[in-house]
Amino acid sequence: MQKLGDFKLPQFFNYPPYFTLQPVRDTREKQVQLWKELILDYCRNQKIFVIGIEEEFPLFTNQVIERFLSHEAKETFLSALVSEGRAEWMDKGHKRCLILWHRIQEWADIIMRFVKETGLEDSVMTIEEIRSGIESRGTELHGMDRTILTRALKLLEQKGKAAIFKGSSADDEGVKFSA
Amino acid sequence: MRKRPGIGGLQTAAAARDQYRLLGENVAKIRTDLMKEQLTTFRSQLEDFARNHKNDIRKNPAFRSQFHEMCAKIGVDPLASNKGFWAELLGIGDFYYELGVQIVDICLATRSLNGGLINLQELCTLLCQRRKAARDFVSEDDCLRAISKLKVLGSGFEVISVGKKKLVRSVPTELNKDHNEILELAQAQGYVTVEEVERRFSWPSGRATDALETLLEEGLAMIDDGHRDCKRRYWFPCVSVSASA
Repeated sequence: MQKLGDFKLPQFFNYPPYFTLQPVRDTREKQVQLWKELILDYCRNQKIFVIGIEEEFPLFTNQVIERFLSHEAKETFLSALVSEGRAEWMDKGHKRCLILWHRIQEWADIIMRFVKETGLEDSVMTIEEIRSGIESRGTELHGMDRTILTRALKLLEQKGKAAIFKGSSADDEGVKFSA
Repeated sequence: MRKRPGIGGLQTAAAARDQYRLLGENVAKIRTDLMKEQLTTFRSQLEDFARNHKNDIRKNPAFRSQFHEMCAKIGVDPLASNKGFWAELLGIGDFYYELGVQIVDICLATRSLNGGLINLQELCTLLCQRRKAARDFVSEDDCLRAISKLKVLGSGFEVISVGKKKLVRSVPTELNKDHNEILELAQAQGYVTVEEVERRFSWPSGRATDALETLLEEGLAMIDDGHRDCKRRYWFPCVSVSASA
């Protein structure tokens, strides 16, 4: 079994035709399905939040069988994730893609669980603290993407579970949770 | 001597015919009885044999296949009925019905990957993986037997031979001779190119493309345009082991 770092690659990754977009509908559907799962699994495993379609990405090239995904193929697979709500294009040109191996709602739930477990209800934290502070160490929140975090917090704000207030710079944007 | 005419002569002839018939019936009855007796003996012997080697039949696939061969030679089909002695004694019917269900399952699960044509060897491997808990090894022979029982359902399960390999077909696709030859050629590397097919079979251009297009549309082939030489390759998941996981 081939590996990327400590990530186990599925068998189809070594089968060359999976690197060419298939013209027949049923075959293509299966191909897209397999790639979607692989991309999500890999990003979750490696804590990757953003895929740049024009940048090098280990998953999109297989040195062993000398195959790589075309631009069209990458865009097809990522768009399939976007249509399922598991990813979002970050720009109109579809150059960067935000990968949501947890949906925004799920991230919001994780944040609320973290807040309850650490007793941070009614206290104020900066957004940066949630991502890199001592409290979140060892949780999924540690090192998470800022864009996704902000989106999840905004969702919580809409539901009245948090209040975001702007600081003088992006670094000291703060948030207050209410149980 | 001139045959005597008259009613007396006719009566004698009728009596003689009756005698012959009676004799004939007797002989036939004796033969049938003898036959029945032999069959009973034989059946009990076979039952004894099966009973004595019950464990071997269950556990050892090679033994099981030989047992089946023996039964086939003498015209007994232990799988013919799920009731009756064989099933009760060996549970052998259940074994194959179970295999059959699992085979259908695997064929369906991998259909989108291989277009409904799967290598017997691979099917067998997947079957063994799935049956890990059961701890009994399943041979290709067992698979073939289970599949032959599936035919009764008319679901289009069939084993076809392509070159040296046996493939199990679970879709009603009709493969013609051209398709079979291409599949056979593909066994060497797992793929073919149009050029290769034309050169190998001396087909006019168009014939190869047509056949490959059909195989593609049936989901049996996948294209690969990623090779350095830029020649399109047609891969066949059903002949390359471990393409479907």
